[in-house]
Amino acid sequence: MGMTVATFAMAATCYVVTTALFFLHLFRGGESQARWASLSMAAAAVAQAGFVASLLWVEHHPLFASIDETLALGSLLVAVAYLATMRRHRLTVLGAFIAPVCFLMLLGAGVDARVARVSHEVRNALLPLHIGVNILGIAAFALAFAVAVAYMIQEQRLRQRKLSGIFQRLPALDVLDSMGLRLVTIGFPLFTIGMLTGSVWAVRAGNGSVTFSPGQGFAVLSWLFFAVVLLARAAAGWRGRRAAMGTVLGFLCAMAALVGYAVRGVGAS
Amino acid sequence: MSTELIVVGLSHHTAPLSIRERVAMREDEVPQVLAELARSVDLPEAVLISTCNRVELVAASREPQRVGERFTQLFDARTNPEKIDRCVYRHIGQDAANHLFRVAAGLDSMVLGEPQILGQVKTAFNLANNIGLVGTLLRRCFDRSFKIAKRVRTETEVAVGNVSVSSIACELAEKIFGSLQGRRILLVGAGKMSEVAARSLTARGASLYVVNRSAERAESLAKACGGTPRPLEALATELAEADVVISSTAKDGFVITHELMQGVCKLRRWKPLFIIDIAVPRDVDPRVDSLRNVFVYDMDDLQKVSRENLAARERALGDAEQILAQELADFERWRRSQQLTPTIVALREHVRSTLRSELEKALPRLTNLPEAHEKALRSMCEAMTNQLLHSPLTALKQADNGEIVAAVQQLFSLRVDEQPASAAEEAQASAEATATPELAAVRRSAHES
Repeated sequence: MGMTVATFAMAATCYVVTTALFFLHLFRGGESQARWASLSMAAAAVAQAGFVASLLWVEHHPLFASIDETLALGSLLVAVAYLATMRRHRLTVLGAFIAPVCFLMLLGAGVDARVARVSHEVRNALLPLHIGVNILGIAAFALAFAVAVAYMIQEQRLRQRKLSGIFQRLPALDVLDSMGLRLVTIGFPLFTIGMLTGSVWAVRAGNGSVTFSPGQGFAVLSWLFFAVVLLARAAAGWRGRRAAMGTVLGFLCAMAALVGYAVRGVGAS
Repeated sequence: MSTELIVVGLSHHTAPLSIRERVAMREDEVPQVLAELARSVDLPEAVLISTCNRVELVAASREPQRVGERFTQLFDARTNPEKIDRCVYRHIGQDAANHLFRVAAGLDSMVLGEPQILGQVKTAFNLANNIGLVGTLLRRCFDRSFKIAKRVRTETEVAVGNVSVSSIACELAEKIFGSLQGRRILLVGAGKMSEVAARSLTARGASLYVVNRSAERAESLAKACGGTPRPLEALATELAEADVVISSTAKDGFVITHELMQGVCKLRRWKPLFIIDIAVPRDVDPRVDSLRNVFVYDMDDLQKVSRENLAARERALGDAEQILAQELADFERWRRSQQLTPTIVALREHVRSTLRSELEKALPRLTNLPEAHEKALRSMCEAMTNQLLHSPLTALKQADNGEIVAAVQQLFSLRVDEQPASAAEEAQASAEATATPELAAVRRSAHES
């Protein structure tokens, strides 16, 4: 228990420090804050890997069985994906929006989620697949969310002719738009598989009857938002602010779905 | 007299363009000018910076006043019969270092924080280095100035944001599209200012298309800028293809209307479009800016950005001054230790040789002295040297003026070599001055063995 709490606290602290340093960098400039923020993000990822390992091997939580492990793994994936990709694309500064997302997901993982733990009777082979692909999809959407927030800020600054400070440090609009599209394109098929396997699993778990929960409602809404973002872009040239807005709403719905499951309990869904 | 740093020259702060253009020197003239100066004054180290806004000699010399006078005479010869004494400034010692640091960091530039000056200072330094006119002092001073310039650029907002219309246009285009490589620039009208902006954009890898009422003018401008001329009738088609539009026609009324752009936006499937309207009266209907993914900046917007960027730079000046003060203090500490090193070396040698000579006189009187005892006496001399000098050397290192150094030289009748000590001597003297006597003795014996 001690190690779990320690790694959880360490990861949460590192995310808070990362967010503070990135915001300092965004609003006040200075390269050293950005460097320290990246290091702090890496430290957070390491601490969080320790937290997940402790959950699985010290506390013997079964993998993919509850919302807390799902959120912990999802948050870790977001941090790792950020560290692996953003530096290469010179988008390190987006850590300012990604670190808070990781922090909130980690906080969710810290909530005592025993209510959400799935009983052995209802677990079967589909559940790990359902949760696994959803985690990957949500990680991609979380990154897309950060990119979309940056896009909306940058576009607003450009429209308002406020070109100093944060505008100077955020990436170009087109770069953000393309990156957002790429991330949603990666996340959407995974999320779709997650939705399908989730539906099948829910029917099996309920012995043929399905009860509709708010979590499921938000998940469907989230899927619809991302579907519209991709379809409208291909069919009607939707890009820029509209696509960014759709991405933000889609991700918020995905988060609301997770909160819904956590509150109601996966077992009950 | 010790070697001093001097800066002598004139700049846009002190001299009008009519004088600056007469004293400015081409790169190939610089070696000749420096050689001529070195013939008449002591000038072991010298760098000559000549740009459109300043001509300055940065030198290290034992006769800084004479260097200043001689360089001013050189200016006079170029502006003859007009005397330009009133335009020439001289900075010696710490003031000279401070001035050079400000210049390299762009804090003394006409446009605060402009980056070109650093490149020009580096070029001047390399030129002097290649002809053997850079020694310890100037190398240290220029290296420090490059470091300060880098710190000012990365740690403050002094160099953030452009202030010229064409640079702002480029910066904005890059903030919308990222790289401009392969992007399409459309010039509507063929004004001089739009040409400057278009050249800046094409220099970043964009392709250029020119639409103008006069086909000849479109053709000549396209040819001059490496672009392609297009007839005015193709405006809508070109707008649908372009990424950046620069409009500067002399036409009354809007050339790019809201209605035209609504159709164009559908054609281009709402791809982002950046329109720079530098015409007065405006060419672009202001309502176009409200269209999805279309960003219109007119002359007022660009000038407002310029003013804000300049104001932001001025606000950051305090941060830059802090960096400058820290680095200057650090440089001065090094400079003092540099001036002190020959005195430390001479004092140590004086005491050591006195003790040794007394020992040599005494040794013949000590008959049957075992070799081990003689060795012990010699070691004792070394230890006494260190013991005796520890406090005076520490006081010398901590002295913040040259008076104590001069007093020590006078008291002990030291003949101090004015050349800067070698790096090894400097390091040794510095280490000995701060070490305890015992540690210094160990270092000394290790050094001698």
